[in-house]
Parts: sequence; C-alpha cells; structure tokens
Amino acid sequence: MLTAAALCPAPPLLARELTGADPVVPELREACFNAAADLLQSDPDVIAVVAAGEQTRAFGTRGRLDLAAYAPALALGRASVDHASADEASVDSDGACSEGEPLPLPLGLGCRLLDEAGYAGQFALHTVSDAVTAADCAALGARLAATAPRVALLVMADGSARRGLKAPGYLDERSFPFDAQVTEAIRAGDTAALLALDASLARDLMATGRPAWQVLAGALDGQRPDSVISYCDDPFGVAYLVATLWPQHDVIPTSGRERGGDWSGRP
Amino acid sequence: MTDRLGSEPMTDRLAQAAQQGVLRLGNRAFPPGQGIVMGIVNRTPDSFFRPAVTWDETAAMERVHQVIADGADIVDVGGIPAAPGAEVDVAEEIRRTAGFIGAIRSTYPDIVISADTWRHETGRAVCEAGADLLNDSWGGHDPLLADVAAEFGAGLVCAHAGRQNPRTRPFRVAYADVMADVLDQVQLLARRALAAGVPSDRIVIDAAHDFGKNTWHSLEVTRRLAEMTATGYPVLVSLSNKDFVGETLNLPPEQRLPGTLAATAICAWHGARIFRVHQVAESRQVIDMVAAIRGDRPPARAVRGLA
Repeated sequence: MLTAAALCPAPPLLARELTGADPVVPELREACFNAAADLLQSDPDVIAVVAAGEQTRAFGTRGRLDLAAYAPALALGRASVDHASADEASVDSDGACSEGEPLPLPLGLGCRLLDEAGYAGQFALHTVSDAVTAADCAALGARLAATAPRVALLVMADGSARRGLKAPGYLDERSFPFDAQVTEAIRAGDTAALLALDASLARDLMATGRPAWQVLAGALDGQRPDSVISYCDDPFGVAYLVATLWPQHDVIPTSGRERGGDWSGRP
Repeated sequence: MTDRLGSEPMTDRLAQAAQQGVLRLGNRAFPPGQGIVMGIVNRTPDSFFRPAVTWDETAAMERVHQVIADGADIVDVGGIPAAPGAEVDVAEEIRRTAGFIGAIRSTYPDIVISADTWRHETGRAVCEAGADLLNDSWGGHDPLLADVAAEFGAGLVCAHAGRQNPRTRPFRVAYADVMADVLDQVQLLARRALAAGVPSDRIVIDAAHDFGKNTWHSLEVTRRLAEMTATGYPVLVSLSNKDFVGETLNLPPEQRLPGTLAATAICAWHGARIFRVHQVAESRQVIDMVAAIRGDRPPARAVRGLA
C-alpha cells in the first residue's frame, strides 16, 4: 500500500556542492527536502526511489552518490564549499548512500534527500528505461507499492529541457503544453493523464521524467490522491516540479506550503 | 623523470613535501589553498612603477581604500624603493610609514598591514603603529628585525636577496643552482626567525625575484617555485611589473601587466600563497582562476550542464 509519494527533479545542481560558492537554487533544495520529509511522516516500512535510467533494474541499497563524475575536483577533497556558511542542505557523507557502487545520479540524489530528512529505514531503488511502455511502467509501480504493507515512493523526474532559447535543448514551444499537462495531472492526481503522456514527445522535449511519472501512476493504482505542489519553475529552461501526493486513505498534514504551482504567465 | 638540473628525481623531492598549514597574520587565519593578495602602497617619490603617485598621504590613503575594495587581504606599505637612489635614513623612513600605518589601522581594524622594510628600528616603529607583518626583501640584512617581529608577535618574510646589501643592483651574479641557494637561504632565515621567537605559523618565505638575480635567475625560480612550496612554509611572490618581466617581453613598466599575470599564474599553480601586486583586481582574478583549476577553490557559480 502506498502511504505517500513525493516528486522531485533530479538535476545535478540539486547537489549543493556542484554549484560552487553560490547556492543558486536554495528554494528548490528546500522544497525537495520538505517533500522527502513528508514521506517520512507517512511512516513507511520502505521508501522506494524511482527514476528514469539507461536500464530498467534495481540497485543495491548501499549505493553511492557519485558527484565526482560531474565535478572531478570534488574527488580532491579541497574545492568543496565551506559548509559552515553554505545553506543547510549540505553533504552528509556518512549517509546511507555514501558507499558501495555508484548510483545513477537521480537515485543518489533521492537517497541523499532522504538521508537529510533523517530516514534510516529500508530503501528500494529502481531505474526505468525510456524504452519501457506506460503499461509496463504502471506495472512496476504497482509492484513496488506492494513490496511492503506501507510503502512510500520518491519519484525523481524532470520535465522538458527545452523551455527557452538558453535552455539545454534550446526552445521547443511544445514544452509549455506538455509540462502544463504533467503539472495538471500531478495537481489533480490524474493517473490516467500521466499514463497517457506521449513518450515520443517527451523524448523530443528531453523530458526525462516520463517513465518515472508513469511508475508513480501505477503505484497510485487508479486512486485520486490529494496533492500539494510546492515548487514549479524553470530557472534554467528545464521544468522542475516538486510535489507531495497522499492517497486518500492517509491523512494530509496541514502544511500549507503550496505556492504558485502552475505555469501561468508563461507562453 | 628527473629534474633538469640535478639527478634527484623531481617526484621524490615533491613526495617529501611538507604540508602547508594555516598562516596567521594579524587577526586573520589563512588556510592553505586560499590565495592572499598583498596590495602595494608606496610612500616614496621615486619607486619604479607609477613613481610618486602615492607620495601624497591623501592619495596614499585613497590607494589603500582602492586596493582593499579590489580584494587585497594585506596592504604593504614601503618607504624606500628597492633600487639605489637618494638616501632615506631611518628617521625619514619612519616618518614616511609609521604614522600612515597608524592611520590605516584606525580606519581598517582588521586588515593585515605589512611594512616593507629591512631595518629593525623601522620595524619597531611600524609594529607600534599597528603593522602585522615585516616584509624584509633584503634577506635578513639586519638580524635584529626578527627579534622585533618576535617581540610584537608580527609575521616575518624571509627572503633570498643573494647576500646583497639593501638597495644594490645585481652585478654579474652567478649561482651553481639558484633555487638551491634560495632554499638554503630562506630556510636558514626561517630557522633564525623561529629561534628568535617568531611563531612558525607567521613565517613566510620569498624567492625575491630580481633581488640579487638576473632575469634568467628570476625565470628559473618561477619555473621551480614548487620546490619552495614543498618546504611547507607559505611562499610569497613579488613579481609585479618587475624587470625580469620587462626584459623577457622587452616592455616598459607600464606595459608589464600581462607578463606579470602570466608569472602570477605559474606561481599560483606551484602553490604560492601571497602575491605582492600593484594591480589587485586583475591579480585577484588570476589567482582565483588558478585556485579553481588546481581544485583549491570552487567556481563562484556553476550551472552550465548541471540543470
């Protein structure tokens, strides 16, 4: 049974030490931290972390977040940001994900969020290939939700990376309706809309989150959850969406953290 | 791989490198890997670079404001040019520097103030006025200077001047191995400073480019500066617009900034920690850039490719 689900983006810059001296996106990190903390509040037996990846497979629960692949200087151990003055989403190198084989970045980032939120329980880590169909993604989601009596799900997924002339993938106007559709589906807890997302269009838009969103839909098992969107923006031309979803059999904390939560004012 | 000038393998020598530690100057503690910029403020009418621009005290204080605004960690005040010229006796040197240092201290309680002098009498006067570091470019010519540094808890720069007297030009200077001579001399001076009671974390060494050295020698110590940083002592370099840059590029003082910055980058790469400079803002950029390349400093803001 799914107790709660959280949705976070997984850009490398979510790792505080990768942006250098400037925290750059502290509000995004804070939203992600709070979403991870929401999962803990749902008192799960297991937290499953799911993200798109090259392969569809499970990962060992003692994997390692490998930031040196993005910033080799970090391996020297000298260039790190002064954590005494950095914002509080700093590294906990002793966390559950500090050893073992390197994890795909989104899983590593997800584990770090849960570590920072104080999670000390069981993990299930899974990547899903972009080649997997909506139905198979949904089946995986249902399977993950059934691995324990109480399962929480952390979905690491990004929207279009083509939301502007300076976006990583340059501008593709189709990004705006696509991301709006995803955001609306998350807001409404509309699993059918998530399962109906066009995989080919998502690929065109560099929206890597498509399989992970569909795993989420499967884990929700057709229920209409209540949801709170706490971050919805594209500061670098990539759509970042942070949300928490509660299946209606569980109580919603009255956090009142909703802000904005749509793409209004955008083309 | 062997060192060009000797049989001792470079890797072995560097493998023995002592760890760089925290450098303390005044109230400040500078960890290894943090480039420290020392802005030059001359209280002279006849220095080689932009002579007399800060001879006037008001102009000199403006210059202090500017170098600090440009990112200097240390202000270096000197009352006597390195080159030969009109005699400046102790009283005149003190008149030029001590009161001015007192004025800087009252305006900037926490800035590190360095005094460029070799004389212990001047050293005493400037320390009383608030100086934190005695920058002796003349290689311990006056051995009592170390005692003054110890007495006031000030730092001391131990430089290699090729055993030349102050304010003399090199005349047909030759070394079997200039870097070996530099290492011997600066470490001897550092040991003397320690024995005099200067705290070990306030001792700095300096090859003193162009002091007792021709251009070839200054290029050599630049090339081999890693041998100095391997001693573990913090290394100061004073390269700014000097004649070795001018002769290398055949340019007058006012056109030596690019050459100075190239030498600055090499010294920074080799691990120099203090850079005595005229052009603070430009030097700061070079030093920070090299620190980031070395991996000692994160970029100010990295987003490209990470979103």
